[in-house]
Parts: sequence; C-alpha cells; structure tokens
Amino acid sequence: MLVAVACSPISGDGDAADPADWDGVVSNSRGQQLNLFMWGGSSEINRFVDNVYGPRLEAEFGIHLNRIPVADTVDAVNKVLSEIQAGRRRGGAVDLIWINGENFQTLRQADALLADWSRRLPNARFVDWDAPEVGLDFGLPVAGFESPLGSAQFQFVYDSARFGPEELPRSYAGLLQWVEMHPGRFTYPAPPDFHGNRFIKQAFYELTGGFERWLGGFDSAGYAESSPALWDYLQELEPHLWRKGTSYPPSLAELNRLFANGEIDFTFTQLPAGIEADVAAGILPATSRPFVFDTGTIGDSHYLAIPANAAHPEAAMVMANLVLEPELQAAKLAPANGWGDGLGISLSLLDDDSRRRIEAVLDDLGELALEPALLESVRLPEVAAEYTVALERDWQQYVRR
Amino acid sequence: MIPRAVKTDSPGFGHRHSERRRRRSTAALAGVVLTLLILPLGVLALFSVTRAYFYPQLAPDDWNLRAWRLLLHPGSEVWGAMATTVFVGLAVVAVALVLAVPAGRALGRHSFRAKRLVEFLLLAPLLAPPLVVAMGLDFAFLRLQLTNRLWGVVLVHLVPTVPYAVLVMSGVFANYDQASEDQARTLGAGRLDAFRYVTLPAIAPGLVVAGVLVLIVSWSQYILTLLIGGGQVVTLPILLFATSSGGDTALTSALALITIAPVLALLLLTSRHVSRMPAAQIGLP
Repeated sequence: MLVAVACSPISGDGDAADPADWDGVVSNSRGQQLNLFMWGGSSEINRFVDNVYGPRLEAEFGIHLNRIPVADTVDAVNKVLSEIQAGRRRGGAVDLIWINGENFQTLRQADALLADWSRRLPNARFVDWDAPEVGLDFGLPVAGFESPLGSAQFQFVYDSARFGPEELPRSYAGLLQWVEMHPGRFTYPAPPDFHGNRFIKQAFYELTGGFERWLGGFDSAGYAESSPALWDYLQELEPHLWRKGTSYPPSLAELNRLFANGEIDFTFTQLPAGIEADVAAGILPATSRPFVFDTGTIGDSHYLAIPANAAHPEAAMVMANLVLEPELQAAKLAPANGWGDGLGISLSLLDDDSRRRIEAVLDDLGELALEPALLESVRLPEVAAEYTVALERDWQQYVRR
Repeated sequence: MIPRAVKTDSPGFGHRHSERRRRRSTAALAGVVLTLLILPLGVLALFSVTRAYFYPQLAPDDWNLRAWRLLLHPGSEVWGAMATTVFVGLAVVAVALVLAVPAGRALGRHSFRAKRLVEFLLLAPLLAPPLVVAMGLDFAFLRLQLTNRLWGVVLVHLVPTVPYAVLVMSGVFANYDQASEDQARTLGAGRLDAFRYVTLPAIAPGLVVAGVLVLIVSWSQYILTLLIGGGQVVTLPILLFATSSGGDTALTSALALITIAPVLALLLLTSRHVSRMPAAQIGLP
C-alpha cells in the first residue's frame, strides 16, 4: 500500500523520472493527465495538437492530453514561478510548456526547469544538438532542459495583387526608402510582441554590421555604443509608418488584420512551410506571398520544457519524445494539416524512408511558401536573450516615448 | 406608434400632446438602445459566417459555417467550457445568495456602529483594480492549495459577486415589512416556517435580481479564473481570450456569440422580475 502511494504518478516526484529507463517512464506515464500549456491563438495549431498528438498519446500510452490555451506563454511561466515561490515544489499545475527565448531564460534563472532529460530521450538521436539553431535557445545552451518541437524563420508577407516581387524592399536600408515612397503603408507590432522584437532585432543586426559580433554573451558596452544607430533608424522610419507611428499594432493578429484589409502592405510570418494555413483560415488574402530580405532574417527553434515541479514529468517526456517521430514531424510540416511548422529534427540523421517522406512534403510546398534552400541561405541566428530585454526596454524609451 | 388610450383625467389637448410626445420619445429611446445592443451582435453574426471578408469588399463573397462547425462539433472544447461556466456560475449564485440574505438583512434592517465602514469594506473588492486583487489572491490561494481547482474558482468568483448580491439584498430588506413576519410568528410559525412561507416569497423578486446579477458577473470573469484556475479550469471567457489572440475573426465572433447567448437568454427570461423592481429597491441610485 505504501509502495503504491509512493509510486503514484500524482505525487509528481520529478526525480523518479529518468529517460535512461524509458520503459519505466512509459509505464509510469500510463493513466496520467498531461497538462500542456501553450499559446492558444491559432485554431489550426490547436487542432493539430488535439487531433494528431492527443489520439496517439491516448491510444499508445494511455496518457490524456489536456491542452491548456494561454493568451501569452508568459502566463504559464508566471504560473510556475508563483507556485515555486509559494513553496509548491511538486505536484505543480504545468507539466509541459511550449517555450523559447526569454521565457526559457526566465525559468532557467529561477532554476524552475527539470534538468538533464531531453538529450536522453530515445528520439533525441534525430536532433542535431550541435547545430547552434537547435542547441542554443537565444544564445543560452539548451543543455538537457528543453527538447525541440520545431523551427521557425521570420519572413515578410506582401500581396502579389498589389506589388510585383521586384518592387519589394530587400534590406532595412531599402525598407526606409520604400516607406518614404509609400507613406502610411507599413508598420510593425510594438515590442514586447514576439514579432515586433524580431523585426527590430534584425534591424539591429543589419545596422550594426552583422550578427557575428553579438554572438556569445551579452556585450553591454558594445550594445550601448552601437544601439543608437538602431533608434536613429527607427525614428527616421516612424513618421512614414501607418498612422505616422503614433500607434503600433499590439500583435501579429492585428498586423494581419491591417494587412488583409489593405491598410498596410506587409505583414510577417514565422512558418517555414509558408502561409497556406493562414490563407485557408481566411486570415490572409489568397494573393499573399512570403518574401525575405537579402540581408537575412532570424531563424530559431521552439521547444518543450518540463517545470521542475511538474506533477506528471513522465507523461511530459513521452510527449516530448513522440513529437520528434519523423512521421509526426512530416505531418506538422505539411501546411495541409494546418500548421506548416519547421522541422525540429535533422534530415541527415534520419533513415532513407523518413527522409524521403519529409523531402516529399518540402517539394510539395507551393507559391505560398519560400524555397527551403532560400530560407536556409538567409537564415540568421538568435543572440543572447539579454539583447531582447534591452531592445524591448530601449524601444519603449527611444521610439514609443 | 399611436397611443391607444389617453388617461381620462387628462385636462386637455395640450396634455394629450405632451403625453404622446413623451411616449414617442420613449419609443425612440428604446429603439436607440435596442439598436446599440443588437447592432454589434449583428456584426459578430456576419463575421462568424464569412471567410476573408476584407476591406474594400462591400459584401463578403465567401459565406460558410466553418467557424460554427468547428465550435459546435461534438468533440469541441466549447461544450466542456460551457458546462464549466454554467457549473461555476450556479455554484457562485447559490453561495453568494446564502451569504447575501443574512448580510443584506442586517445592513438593510438594522443600524449599528460602523455600518458605513462595513458597507465600504464590502464594496472594496469592486473599487480596487481587478488585477491587483487577483495577484494577491493568487498567492493566498496557492498557499491554501486552492488553485487549479473548480472550487477555488467558485470561491474566488465570490469576491466580485458577493458585494453586488449584498447591495441588492440590503435594498430589498430596507423596504421589507417586518410586520408580516412578526405576524406569522405570533400565529405560531417557527423561525424556519416564517422564513419559508413569509419572508422568502416577499424577497423572491430581489433574489432573482441578485442571482442574475451574480451569474452575469461570474460568467464574464477572465483574469480571476485564469490565475486561480491556472488555465485548467477552462471557462468560455478563457477560450474566448485565447482564440481572439490568434486573429481568426470568424472563429472569435462565433465564440463571442456562444459566450453571450446564454446570458442574453437568461436576461430575457427574467426581465419581467428585473424591470418590476423599482430602482430604489435594488439599492441603485
């Protein structure tokens, strides 16, 4: 009886889950309810998670997937932090979070994540941990604390009914000229929105001579010296923006709405397999097309992480492992299934069958997506999360005022 | 609209005219109010059945029920959220009324020292910004292990609802004639019987008003439910906020209508009771 209680999954004993003993993890996870906290703003992504991962977890592992929609991932992060602050060291509400960047850094700094599990999952063999775009999350080593789900790359979106590809700006310098010729036809989401952050960080790279010098840790002297070039640029841009820059849209959803209603000429996307799902959902017009700057756009990975006080760490590991199955990565990549997310695994580490299956999806991408080779050739890395924090803060001071 | 009857004691044409004018302006006002209430719902209904309806199109060219099908199919999360919202709402109404009847009676019928202070403290949760209240309560609830549970959410919904219920009931009891209850007691009714057969019927309309008010406030809670429920108690507003952050207008509009519909139906059903209560009696200025 005592033994049964001690082994009960409800006790949420994080130390007991060891992916090296995978059979033990799988058998412990049976019957658990997996509380997955993830941004719930995309009905297509929600449906993919509910209809693809949910039934597999239920049928193969007896795990009940409880997807909990949050309006912003930071809500889930705060949940974990306040639980730990209130002394709840186990049995926490959050089993798994869809996460990256500064949210990952916040939880790492608070020592609030389960350690040393992700690289020991059976399917971790498909992940190229040494590639910086996988092994580093905003410059911070993933180091067993996160397991990749997929990858993303920033792209601009234009309406091919309004412009030809030759009329588009191809760099931040070109964008400034473009907005001067098309006043009021461009804007970007206000940081700290994820896409707004990314837009200004790319400008930061280009205007300070490239990303290379910002790799490594946070260089506060270098940042202080170089960042004024960015604020000068954004201030120069501002009078030519939508509503003369007196207000910025708060989110990508709002940017998409302005774009679709013809108030502005560009919006953004993060999906490597393109905007087909957004067009199908009626969020973007059918004539929308993605494009990138020659000076590059930021690509990165997004991950699953398990809070240190998770009640069901075993079920969380089973799901983190399941999403790396090549077959499910291919399904997630195919826009027809509603998502179009980039791969979290590396083609070169797969067997021929799996690789061909994924290559077939990539070959099949239409004009609503960019060539994978093109995306790859302009991909820029993320840098330390401190830069995001500094850029967010200084944008408020120098641009928003 | 032509008034069908003119009051017999009307002293002449002048009065009749002003009466007619007054009725007309009442009808016009009702029209404006109805338009303001219904027009936004109409817009939501329109958006919910269109896809890619963008400016400058005059009329949508793609009508479909995609959003409604997604939300109303048998496996949809809307059903669970609806059940949770109803359950929480009814539980909150029950507890709030049980608390509000004695509290309202004490405040409405008796005067005592520091009565003003008690009234102020009762209203305090309504005066403080909800987010501040929520953050503080979140910490307290975590300590008490009340988070992530249905009962925790019911409990925390009492914070913004009980003040309204007490306010309404104290207004009801202020106008309540204690004599009939005393009479029943004199005629041999016990305390319980007197309450059941005399007090309860007398305050019933007030209870309905308080109950409806409490249900509406509970129904629309977002931040308290999110923090205390930890995202695990998924009510309709929780779904609605997450959906609206994604920018799918059709889906958000349909879900907004689904969220509003039960409350609207309830209001229509009980409007007789609500409108019968004089404003002064429900403690409103």
